[in-house]
Amino acid sequence: MPVYLDNASSTPVDARVAARMAEVLSSETEYGNPASASHDYGDIAAALVESARAQVAAAVGAAATEIVWTSGATEANNLAIFGVAEYYRERGRHIITARTEHKAVLDPCRELARRGWEISYLVPDREGLLDPDQVAAALRPDTVLVTLMHVNNEIGVVQNIAAVGAICARHGGAWLHVDAAQSVGKCPVHFASLGADLMSLSSHKVYGPKGVGALAISQRGGVGGRGRVQLTALQFGGGQEGALRAGTLPTHQVVGMGLAFELAAKTSSVETARVAHLQQRLWRGLAALGGVLRNGSAARSVPHLLNVSFEGVEGESLLAAIRPYVAVSTGSACASALAEPSYVLRALGRSERLSESSLRFGLGRTTTEADIDTAVATLSREVTRLRKVAGVTPAA
Amino acid sequence: MKYSELTRRYFETAANAGELAGPGVFRGAAGDHAQGTWVQFDLRIDAGAVSAAKFLAFACPHTIAVAAWLTEQAVGRPLKPKLPESVQALRERFAVPVEKMGRLLIIEDAWLAAVLPAIDSRA
Repeated sequence: MPVYLDNASSTPVDARVAARMAEVLSSETEYGNPASASHDYGDIAAALVESARAQVAAAVGAAATEIVWTSGATEANNLAIFGVAEYYRERGRHIITARTEHKAVLDPCRELARRGWEISYLVPDREGLLDPDQVAAALRPDTVLVTLMHVNNEIGVVQNIAAVGAICARHGGAWLHVDAAQSVGKCPVHFASLGADLMSLSSHKVYGPKGVGALAISQRGGVGGRGRVQLTALQFGGGQEGALRAGTLPTHQVVGMGLAFELAAKTSSVETARVAHLQQRLWRGLAALGGVLRNGSAARSVPHLLNVSFEGVEGESLLAAIRPYVAVSTGSACASALAEPSYVLRALGRSERLSESSLRFGLGRTTTEADIDTAVATLSREVTRLRKVAGVTPAA
Repeated sequence: MKYSELTRRYFETAANAGELAGPGVFRGAAGDHAQGTWVQFDLRIDAGAVSAAKFLAFACPHTIAVAAWLTEQAVGRPLKPKLPESVQALRERFAVPVEKMGRLLIIEDAWLAAVLPAIDSRA
């Protein structure tokens, strides 16, 4: 198998997490429905769920009562965006987001636009960063939601969410939702300090299982006595999770996410320093090729992500050439035979060609120096070969 | 995207990538780097037949594979005002998705841009 450098897409499940999940799945006492309060089986499962809730909350600086389980960050984003939009629809129908958001935010916003809401899309600078003053300038009396990601999933830049939170608090009517799917374990995440009212979390980006995530919903009151953020539920059928997310909870999944978040919080600082060393090794190796451009701010990004564009090579060929050796994501959305260039890189001002010939390297807990050296050697060989086939000599 | 074994082999080998120079060499190119596909053929013509062929391609794996295969097939064949194999046959041979038909037409344009002046020069 090729070297895995796509940890920003998904991470392998930590062996300790998998073992604990297997215990829950095979237990003779832990299989009850957590919502069944009429017997011990239900109580045991409920206790596991609440323990995991506390683990997740502790890892992100939230209160356990602020955590609502979902099927993942996409559902959490949908619950936050549609939930706020529906609840406050009589107060205003204006939402602010950014062009560089994940599709799990952009697509719900587009759907709301189709239903009559007005969406303002902020454009980041060439390094992918938003100035909080852009949010201040875009706020209107009828703005009900600002939804921005903490760590960008393609380029790894970290937005100044705390400053945006302060701006939203001063506004008084706009709630702040933060997609933090890429943040946990990569940089400090403290829900209360960020000033966000809602925060989406993902398990499988943090060495937990797929199929589970959470939405943190602030219980803090807003500035000026505006109270807590309220949501309209999107699904119904049992009143679980405070009637915000109906459905039987998958005990083994939430137990896995809880442990994964606890482990991430414990190892984050040491692991981040180790990954930063690997990222520098990777960048130095790739940059030596010449004609390699780094995408996103190097100064304000997590070390786990490195996004680069290669001049003089066609994107699909680049990905095909390295595929047997290195597993990475392309800057193109290859959902069809004809790839579309990354809208994130296009928003940063990269040309269509450079956007297509970009790769996202996602480093993680299992990444070694040998993996990095394999990636550098592979890219050096294949980029040189493809440039020769194209008759291209990049500028030094 | 998945590629056929033939496509992958010719893409990875890319034999005949390069340029020819000197008397009897005819060059044709089509496409545009900025548009994502550019192909160039160099054909050396001796006594009405192709004696050597090279290509350059800034393009997807299918396009590179087809261009490489064409340069291999052309050598020794008499000069004709068409591809050694039709666009449709190439599409089937290399399992090129229908969405990429335009790229095969760029290959054809580049090929004819090299071949037609060579034929004219013999007239």
